[in-house]
Amino acid sequence: MKQFIISLCLVLSTTSAALAGTARTEILADNLNFPWSVAELPEGGFLVTERSGQLVFVSATGDKHFIEFDLPDLYATAQAGLFEVLLAPDFITSRELVLSYSCGTESANNTCVVRAKLSLQPPYSLLDTQNIFTALPKKEGAAHYGARMTWLADGTLLIALGDGFVYREQAQKIDNHLGKIVRITRDGEAPEDNPFTHSKAPEIFSYGHRNVQGLIYDAARDAIWQHEHGPKGGDELNKIVKGGNYGWPIATFGIDYTGAKVSPFRDLPGVKPPLYQWTPSLAPAGLALYEGDLLVTHLAGKRLQRLCLVDEQWQLEGEYLQDLNARLRAVYVAPSGRILVLTDSAEGQLLQVSFED
Amino acid sequence: MVRMFIAFLCAVIGAALVGTVIQTQFNLAELTALSVDIDMSTRMATILHDLLHFGPVFALILTPTLLIAFIVARVLSHFMPRLERAWFVVGGGVGLACAFMVVDSLAPMPTLIAANRTLLGFLLMSATGAFAGWIFDRLWHPQPQELAEELPQ
Repeated sequence: MKQFIISLCLVLSTTSAALAGTARTEILADNLNFPWSVAELPEGGFLVTERSGQLVFVSATGDKHFIEFDLPDLYATAQAGLFEVLLAPDFITSRELVLSYSCGTESANNTCVVRAKLSLQPPYSLLDTQNIFTALPKKEGAAHYGARMTWLADGTLLIALGDGFVYREQAQKIDNHLGKIVRITRDGEAPEDNPFTHSKAPEIFSYGHRNVQGLIYDAARDAIWQHEHGPKGGDELNKIVKGGNYGWPIATFGIDYTGAKVSPFRDLPGVKPPLYQWTPSLAPAGLALYEGDLLVTHLAGKRLQRLCLVDEQWQLEGEYLQDLNARLRAVYVAPSGRILVLTDSAEGQLLQVSFED
Repeated sequence: MVRMFIAFLCAVIGAALVGTVIQTQFNLAELTALSVDIDMSTRMATILHDLLHFGPVFALILTPTLLIAFIVARVLSHFMPRLERAWFVVGGGVGLACAFMVVDSLAPMPTLIAANRTLLGFLLMSATGAFAGWIFDRLWHPQPQELAEELPQ
């Protein structure tokens, strides 16, 4: 039975907060199992990943069907599973996309990325799937994978990674991929102009990250924007530069969930401070560019925030969708200009959002 | 009964204080291993912060754990009264080790207390439960020679 309708739901986010804004939402699809990312197809419709391990095609009329693909090492439990689907810049001609997911077993897993081709027309399937990146070392536990991705202007791919939670000190060591952002070519090679090509992990682009959940390339400013989860407090918005150290866990605004200090320092020499930080944590998960502003969705914070750049400082311009009372997993601005938001639940929704102002 | 309550309170507080200082040292040691310099005033400020913020959380874990552990130790010492002190010490230590494992299996993160990520840290943090067992039995059922030490001359 078709579980959703293309119905217009006006949600007036008119809370008493001074920054509360008004947005209109339209449900494009529902009953998605913990949707994690969405990509709009040029021929119409959307690809949606579900963390539990399904790749779903949502047609322009809201019909859904699962796309066949072959990821035999997919590990899906807790925070682990299928993460981001990102179309190649030349998707229209190449039909290529990349998928990030957690690969391995309970005792040995990490973030992997495959490149594949989407068949030409529905019912879609993924063809020629090939691994282009495996984060090393494989580690225990099912937490903090990062897994957001973005293409840079030169055609290389940035992949955000997590620290695996219990391996936080590894984020400061450049001989592994834990707590890093890596940059690779479409074939999975480390570009020669990466900053640590002499190390055992030449793919590293920046380090000192905890769990990156938002990553986007801003072509107009030639800048890379990123956000990551702090522990209890200390969620950060950063501008990523090649070779930069972003501090985790030696400098942070957050403290451990137990109340203990992770580090006595909020900043240290050689560490790039956040441009904006959320304390208490809102758990940002999703980052998009909209008319030069940043859109950030939040899980714990259950809202969409719009940040604008004023005098080189990101400032909160407005807050939206709080009336949904839903954990928001991701936000995208599709090539068509549509703002797409995913809610995070076993009955997740794909929403189209438009600002009233 | 009052003596038992006071002894239990002292055991929880004593273990929470010692455990907090231990976990702080483990956390700071990880940072110094990354070449971060931490001077003594910063170290002391961190201990103070953790005593105020981590200490109560640790006490929350200790309280039900020691309650169960000490009841078991009391039952065992009923059958082997000469080993009473040992039962409370072992009971507190084993009980806290089990509590850490239960908490880690229930919490969303793999290891709730960072110091427990290493075997040495886990053993030392668990040992604070044994310390609590010693405090409790020492105050609740002091041995004759301990009692004699407390009598006025």
